[in-house]
Amino acid sequence: MLEHLRVLDLTDERGLLCGRLLADLGADVVQLEPLTGSGARSAPPTAHGGTGPSMFWETFAANKRGVALDLDSDEGLAAARELAGRADIVVTSLPAAWLRERGLDPDTLRAAHPHLVYTVISAFGWSGPKADYADCDLVVWAAGGPLDPHRDEERPPLRISVPQAFLHASADAAAGALIAVLGRAATGRGQVVDVSAQASLGTATLARVLAHAVGDAQPEWHRQPVAGKDQSGSGAATPNRLKKWRCADGMVELHLSMGPASGEFTNRLFAWLRSEGAVSDRIAAWDWKTLPQRIAAGEITDADLDEARAAVGGFLATLTKEQVLQAAMEHRLLCMAIYDMGDIAASPHLAERDYWAQVDIDGVAVRIPSAIARVGGGAQPGVRRRAPRLGEHTAEVLADWLTTTEVNG
Amino acid sequence: MTRPLADLKVLDLSWVVAGPLIGRALADFGAQVVRVESSRRVETARLMQPFHRGEAGVENSALYGNCNAGKLGMTVDLKTEEGRGIVRDLARWADVVVESFSPGQMAKWGLDYAELARDNPSLIMLSTSIAGQSGPWAALAGYGNVGASLSGFQNLVGWEDRQPMGPFGPYTDYVGPRLALVTLLAAVEHRRRTGQGRHIDVAQVEAGIFFLSPQVAHHGFDGTVARRRGNRDEVFAPHGVYPCLAEDGRDRFVALAARDDAEWVRLAEAMGRADLAERADLRTAEQRRARADLLDEQIARWTSGRRAEDVERCLQAVGVPAHRSASSADFVADEQLAHRGHVVRLPHPLHGETVVEGPRYLLSDTPGEVTRAAPTLGQDNEYVLRDILGYPAERIAQLVKDGVLV
Repeated sequence: MLEHLRVLDLTDERGLLCGRLLADLGADVVQLEPLTGSGARSAPPTAHGGTGPSMFWETFAANKRGVALDLDSDEGLAAARELAGRADIVVTSLPAAWLRERGLDPDTLRAAHPHLVYTVISAFGWSGPKADYADCDLVVWAAGGPLDPHRDEERPPLRISVPQAFLHASADAAAGALIAVLGRAATGRGQVVDVSAQASLGTATLARVLAHAVGDAQPEWHRQPVAGKDQSGSGAATPNRLKKWRCADGMVELHLSMGPASGEFTNRLFAWLRSEGAVSDRIAAWDWKTLPQRIAAGEITDADLDEARAAVGGFLATLTKEQVLQAAMEHRLLCMAIYDMGDIAASPHLAERDYWAQVDIDGVAVRIPSAIARVGGGAQPGVRRRAPRLGEHTAEVLADWLTTTEVNG
Repeated sequence: MTRPLADLKVLDLSWVVAGPLIGRALADFGAQVVRVESSRRVETARLMQPFHRGEAGVENSALYGNCNAGKLGMTVDLKTEEGRGIVRDLARWADVVVESFSPGQMAKWGLDYAELARDNPSLIMLSTSIAGQSGPWAALAGYGNVGASLSGFQNLVGWEDRQPMGPFGPYTDYVGPRLALVTLLAAVEHRRRTGQGRHIDVAQVEAGIFFLSPQVAHHGFDGTVARRRGNRDEVFAPHGVYPCLAEDGRDRFVALAARDDAEWVRLAEAMGRADLAERADLRTAEQRRARADLLDEQIARWTSGRRAEDVERCLQAVGVPAHRSASSADFVADEQLAHRGHVVRLPHPLHGETVVEGPRYLLSDTPGEVTRAAPTLGQDNEYVLRDILGYPAERIAQLVKDGVLV
């Protein structure tokens, strides 16, 4: 869909994903690296305890072509600036000072090439009081909101164990760049798209970042269930430990939802338990849609709820993850096996949907996630080539891009 | 200057978070978005916190407000033939339809892509669901916590010595709409050039796994299964979240890290611990990772007597990454977010004022803008039917009388 667009990609690991998305959708994306290679080439996880290839690079630089230039020499920088003039989109996550020193910053490049959509991805934003803050994934996660509410009992807030903050920002950057491309169709002019990972993360908090602003005096609701408050049944306001259960070969995510919107899911769960003889008739007869009122009225006690939970726990312990998944579909339950990377790799569903692409990583054929979406009626988004070796396409790209005229919007 | 998506007309039939966030982003940049819902089966997000003044109520949710600001809103009972007729008319008017019903439901109503595209061949429709429109898991019901389980995130958050805790909230609801939006915009660009419509099928599980691509590849490469590791990093050490002085009765924390050996020395010196900075067995990241417990203990001892904000400023002054763990009060007071205009106050018909997040990226020449608060139930029924669809007044009155617009 984007086969007509050229993207010059000057990112390190913080912005690498942006170009990958545009490439998956058809754009010609060229990763421009200094002769020492992009910092993303050593971004964890790396194989062989750090000495092997970076899985981060091999997955998120896939589909790109690679150009290496001496970005500390006049010749190299002249070529880089010329490539930028032939691009529709430039995307970077490199420090502002480094870009300015080399004349690769938005002001310089846009003055020379007004058609250019120049996308900058940074931790806090291109300008502002924290623009020069030192950053890393965890620090951005703390600044953007998703960290603070996420506590396991008394311990400090907890992040996801692998970096995520800049992935959200990079995906936003791809969308922002395309909005600017669509705007260019009317004006012929590009513009700067300034992406802040901190700002991107607000939508990863279920609007919890707005609690104070709208006067919700109980912003801690995610830790202490507030009786009768969350009737959505989504379980978002329920402590995590109440939603994790052991099964025969791993763990299960299950929220015993109650209330009008989602109590029916739990009714179906207990109907299933009753049919398997795993719960008393007394508990199986509850209607979870009206349970909040009955709890509030004192008709159902904590001991009753413990008995219900014990029945569920005892039954799930006899099932495998696959059995739980099948039952969730058969009985329409909000109940799910907790997968690890091995389970994901073995999923028949993903295989049937052509989710994977096979790429060569250091001589090993490895399947990587490919189909970010399925699109009817034309070419599918997906991976067509492995991540580039350093400078692999330098000659080819210089010939391709520099022999054509400048883009005119 | 004209906003980039000013010509784009969007029918938004989605609900909760993953679908509505897509139309929200389009509205920010000028698209006219008509959000259709029903008061018969209240949209889940309206029932979710945070609430204005902390009071539950279908018009009080800041989550709903954040996902639907800038949209027109109408209520239609899709269980009625007349209601489905209105949706068909809106789909003829629209360039883009976004929906997030269970796979198969739109077809049962005669509103699937093939049907809608017959009258509007260049229509782009985006369907978002937990596991996608096809395949053995297509029937899976659920919220983003189900998506987070099957995509590997539930297992990847937690302390090593405890059960997995899973991510905060329905995590794939935050990932799916971002990938969906990029794909949708690519389809809009393609349609601009060719006139072709498309049906896009986005699965939250697949979007979630995509954000774990490196971990999936690692497993494929040598069998490594990524594990939860608390707040520790694979490379950086120290790397963690540490307790600070409580403020207003609330626990406070600061996140900090040393990205290289020089930063570690500056961190230790900022702590007034030249002894740690000089220790030969803490010089390299590998050595520090091996002594992470010791480091965490020493850092926590230092931070716990200080305000989170002071630790952040003290370390940032010497170029060490640090930030207070931002509460929702910090978020609205954050000077950087204020600089970006990220916290937006809007007039609201019931609350006087409401607050939403601004557009997630700043465009220099055609900035995004949130033009109005999310609609109250049925707020724009009249406008949509009269001004957009051109229904005569008698027909609208009949629809009201027949209970279709609920």
